[in-house]
Amino acid sequence: MTETKDKGSPSLSRRSLLKAGLATGGAAVAGVAASGARAEGDPLITEIQDWNRYLGDGVDAAPYGLPSEFEADVVRRNVPWLTADAVSSINFTPLHELDGIITPNGLCFERHHGGVAQIRPQDHRLMINGLVDTPLVFTMEDLKRFPRENHVYFLECAANGGMEWRGSQLNGCQFTHGMVHNVMYTGVKLKTLLEEAGVKTNGKWVMPEGADASAMTRSIPMEKALDDCLVAWKMNGEALRPEQGYPLRLAVPGWEGNMWVKWLRRLEVGDEPWHHREETSKYTDLLANGKARRFTWVMDPKSVITSPSPQMPISHGEGPMVISGLAWSGNGRITRVDVSLDGGRNWKTARLDGPSLSKSLHRFYLDIDWDGSEMLLQSRAMDEHGFYQPTKNELRAARGENSIYHNNGIQTWYVQKNGAVENVEVG
Amino acid sequence: MSKLVKSLALSAAVFTTGLMVGAAQAGDADAGEKVFKKCKACHAVGDGATNKAGPQLNDVIGRTAGTVDGFKYSKGMIEAGEGGMVWDEATMTAFLIKPKDVVKGTKMAFAGLKKDEDLENVIAYLATFSSSAPADSSQAPAEPAPAQTAEAAATPDAASSSSLRESGIFKLGRVATQDEIAAWDIDVRPDGQGLPEGSGSVADGEVLFADNCAVCHGDFGEGVGRWPVLAGGHDSLKDDRPEKTIGSYWPYLSTVYDYVRRAMPFGNARSMSDDDVYALTAYLLYLNDVVTDEEFVLSKENFLEVRLPNEENFFMDDRSEEPHYASKSEPCMTNCKADEVKITMRARVLDVTPEDGGDDDAGVGAVD
Ligand code: HEC
Ligand code: HEC
Repeated sequence: MTETKDKGSPSLSRRSLLKAGLATGGAAVAGVAASGARAEGDPLITEIQDWNRYLGDGVDAAPYGLPSEFEADVVRRNVPWLTADAVSSINFTPLHELDGIITPNGLCFERHHGGVAQIRPQDHRLMINGLVDTPLVFTMEDLKRFPRENHVYFLECAANGGMEWRGSQLNGCQFTHGMVHNVMYTGVKLKTLLEEAGVKTNGKWVMPEGADASAMTRSIPMEKALDDCLVAWKMNGEALRPEQGYPLRLAVPGWEGNMWVKWLRRLEVGDEPWHHREETSKYTDLLANGKARRFTWVMDPKSVITSPSPQMPISHGEGPMVISGLAWSGNGRITRVDVSLDGGRNWKTARLDGPSLSKSLHRFYLDIDWDGSEMLLQSRAMDEHGFYQPTKNELRAARGENSIYHNNGIQTWYVQKNGAVENVEVG
Repeated sequence: MSKLVKSLALSAAVFTTGLMVGAAQAGDADAGEKVFKKCKACHAVGDGATNKAGPQLNDVIGRTAGTVDGFKYSKGMIEAGEGGMVWDEATMTAFLIKPKDVVKGTKMAFAGLKKDEDLENVIAYLATFSSSAPADSSQAPAEPAPAQTAEAAATPDAASSSSLRESGIFKLGRVATQDEIAAWDIDVRPDGQGLPEGSGSVADGEVLFADNCAVCHGDFGEGVGRWPVLAGGHDSLKDDRPEKTIGSYWPYLSTVYDYVRRAMPFGNARSMSDDDVYALTAYLLYLNDVVTDEEFVLSKENFLEVRLPNEENFFMDDRSEEPHYASKSEPCMTNCKADEVKITMRARVLDVTPEDGGDDDAGVGAVD
């Protein structure tokens, strides 16, 4: 779609936004030309093209295959001024460019607290200690001898949308919702490892710890640890990417991404939570009355329309089109997504397409016949427990504007007659 | 000791460049790249390197101290340069052993490298980005033959437990030794579990903080640029822009000890002794007015007596009781709003990357 001015620095700038607008206009014109083909025909058809005549690259041109050069714009992007330094920062998944439910490994958003640790798998160890019968050390090889499982789970940072509490801020679902990804993990159940060490009866909490320079720690209640947590070494069939915790990470399905400790090197069992920095200073939700919620682990039901959206304007005129989006809930499966074209006055139930898996992204579509008029697009997700997505104003009424985390309010996109889309809020 | 280092540095300054570069080749640049990880939080080197908390280090060998354009050096560093200090093997070795002893008042908050080989290697590594250091191809490590790598990968790793344990369900893994557990299990809890023996005073903490933390967090914990603020913000939690610090927000002191010990200083974690961390924790209490006595000494023994003011203001997640979740009623599908819907606010930051740099305080809050 749009060209960034510089492949090397994939940040959205005013210039590229302007270009996006222009490209949109251009595409609309080209579309008309193509469908109303001139008498002599479309030169792309009537003339022999280079790729039809000359040979392409042989099989080994890229031993590890890369996307087409024409997809160079489909990249993670960051907002440099949000954090002090790139080694403790964040970038965002380009949700607007993706379809289906799986996020390609190279596009999964990144958040590190001490940069990306580079660990030779032979040098990696996982220790289990604390309130266990036998403290154990595993190598990667040991771990791969345990019974294995595969699961698709979304991982969402609790701060996803955190910039939007005070009102619409960033123009693009990559920036408003891009701290989420969805991949298939391969690994061993945390339960299996804990049972191997033997949890003592007073073991009520598990603390995973990372091997990186931030030595990330969180407290996880034993009930969750024994339920569905996974100690994973593969994502989408291949080894974890370094930025996702290679060689080993924890999956804590449905719960905030910060708990999914990367470069996992230790699991300690205890009788009390640790109240470490990432569950006190951070990842606690400050309310308007000055009090703060702690241990807000579950990611609430949420959805967003990924196309059209500010980075993915409508490039054709009126007529048939697909409204496409993602929905997810940390409570389980998504059972319904409603879409509104008029800012929440009237709703239509969208079509869920593709696998519907617990604690995974779900894809929804609403196929409409656009009459070319303005739209205020919204989507509203509902999960299998009957929880549905609140409006942003409902959230603010309950929490104030300083919560940072767990903003799952309904997003509004304002679609203009020319197809351009903007992040707005409605009354 | 410090005198010795200083005289070494001074005498080194009169050496010729050729001599020094020769010495630099004693180090292994590849190994030096690993050592440089200790510097990376503050320094960049290589293509497109820019100034960070410290100046960029391209062409540093042969450069006069304190002369990178656009970097705000300490007075000490500028004076060292004016006094003729040039970075070479000898001056840099002395500086990296103990920065403050060689350049008085330097703001490089770095404890120093201790091992000779680390010093040699990191300097050799930096020399590869310095044009005044002649390229010496004999130093370039040979590319490992692909066959070798494959072999290495196929060799079962020595530490893996090929023999099964006696007990357990799958009998996989091996028993962790006490020393191994002690090396990794450094976590501290609010009830004091995990606190090591030791103590440290506010006064010692002040010195340690100035040397190791203030470059980023500011002398008084006020935060330099966008680095985190560690003090202040009292009574601000209900404000429009609350400032969440150790004093204003954190519930437990144990978290300060635990976090500083495991993760700070940023880019050189685990470099502070247990006593140092007690002293730094004491100083952070002092900066936050939780203790007011400069003579105060924090120790394992009195740790639990100190309480942070905001401890009571945290409560367990109760989101499911919020009205929008509690009702669980069928959401409205038609004519849900009386009037036509109006836009009340439009995206504030159309321009996500401020190109003119003027939008830094766009005020959208940080990602935490
Ligand atoms: C905590 C941040 C920090 C770390 C870590 C750090 N430095 Fe520095 N460094 C600085 C600062 C700040 C200065 C500027 C000092 C001044 O102005 O007094 C500096 C200056 C220097 C200089 C002098 C550069 C000049 O232009 O004169 C060299 C050489 C240097 N550092 C090398 C290193 C090396 C090598 C390491 C790692 C072994 C390292 N530093 C680690 C912050 C740091
Ligand atoms: C090179 C810059 C740098 C230096 C030097 C540094 N810090 Fe930090 N500090 C950081 C960054 C960056 C973070 C946030 C890390 C993250 O994102 O997880 C941080 C976080 C902290 C926090 C937690 C703040 C909060 O509100 O959660 C404390 C406490 C802290 N540092 C103390 C120290 C102490 C004590 C030292 C000295 C021993 C030190 N720091 C040295 C950069 C630095």
